[in-house]
Amino acid sequence: MQRILMGVFRIMPLLFGLGFLAPLLTQIIARAGWTPPAGLSPLILGLAVGGAWGGFATLRGRWL
Amino acid sequence: MSAPALTEAQVAGLDDRALIRLEKSIAEAFMGGVPWGSVTWALVNTAVWLSLWPLTLSGVLPLWAAFPIATVSIALSYLPSHEAQHRIIARAGDRLFWLNELVGHVSTLSLVLPYDVARLTHYEHHKHANHPDLDPDISTHAAGTLDFFRRSLANRQPSGESDKAYGETLQRLGTPEAQRAMIVAAVYRLTYFSILFALAWSGHALEAALIWWLPRHLAATYIQYYLSFAPHHPAKLQGRYRDTRAFRSPLGNILTMGMQFHIIHHLYPRIPLMRTPAAYWAMRPVLTARGCDLGGL
Repeated sequence: MQRILMGVFRIMPLLFGLGFLAPLLTQIIARAGWTPPAGLSPLILGLAVGGAWGGFATLRGRWL
Repeated sequence: MSAPALTEAQVAGLDDRALIRLEKSIAEAFMGGVPWGSVTWALVNTAVWLSLWPLTLSGVLPLWAAFPIATVSIALSYLPSHEAQHRIIARAGDRLFWLNELVGHVSTLSLVLPYDVARLTHYEHHKHANHPDLDPDISTHAAGTLDFFRRSLANRQPSGESDKAYGETLQRLGTPEAQRAMIVAAVYRLTYFSILFALAWSGHALEAALIWWLPRHLAATYIQYYLSFAPHHPAKLQGRYRDTRAFRSPLGNILTMGMQFHIIHHLYPRIPLMRTPAAYWAMRPVLTARGCDLGGL
């Protein structure tokens, strides 16, 4: 159990990127009425940015 | 609550034993009774924060108005729990001990800080204030205000120091109570993230961000600045009369949440927050005789 929890917390930045930042960005884009480039939908852009940022934070240990 | 008014001249010639006797007699005049103000503060403040959810999600309260209310509410959430951590509301075995524990558990829900984690690590902070390895709050100390904000940001990164210090402190304590607190901390954190994710994916990401996530970060910064950094700055010295200072802030007593007088709390943790200013002024000549840093207050 402890090992599972530690594993979850280790990848929490990635989960946070996908679970929170992605829908947050999607909803900000929608509320601002902005159209993402290259025909991307707001959700795909949100997932790409949130996932990449969360992945970076998981690997590097920092968000910035 | 009152204590005999003293002058520095009256205290100047006293030896160590006489000083400690005098200090204790002053402190005792400010202890005892239930701090109903803090109890009311805890319950009302928690109710205010919880009410922001239905009010905002139903469209009664605009999000731009909920955001500052949430930030202030979460910033105010810690101190009632702090009173409970020191069992100021009621001690174990007292008739109202349940109320003490209720305040402790409920008031920091929005801060996502479990009561037992806060209590156990805070006792260690008191025992080892400013110790580079044993004070769990040492990571909030910095060279100055700008450095504090830089460190505060760094501490919140996934590899940051603050959460790690609390975990290490509980591990070092190693008691069944500390081990239980670590499990509760994991449950709190998982629950917090699960709620944020559920809200976000059900179309309420902005509400989750502006009622909880961002206000919690802003409030934590404010709390750490005034409750940890400012009263212990420069955090170089240890010892009963050296590890905490008084300070004068342009924001005054209320906006610094009474922390200008935090030195009194470290000397006598069972004096309720709202009585620390009066206790300070009564004890000031003793503190001067002890050579405390009173920061011009």
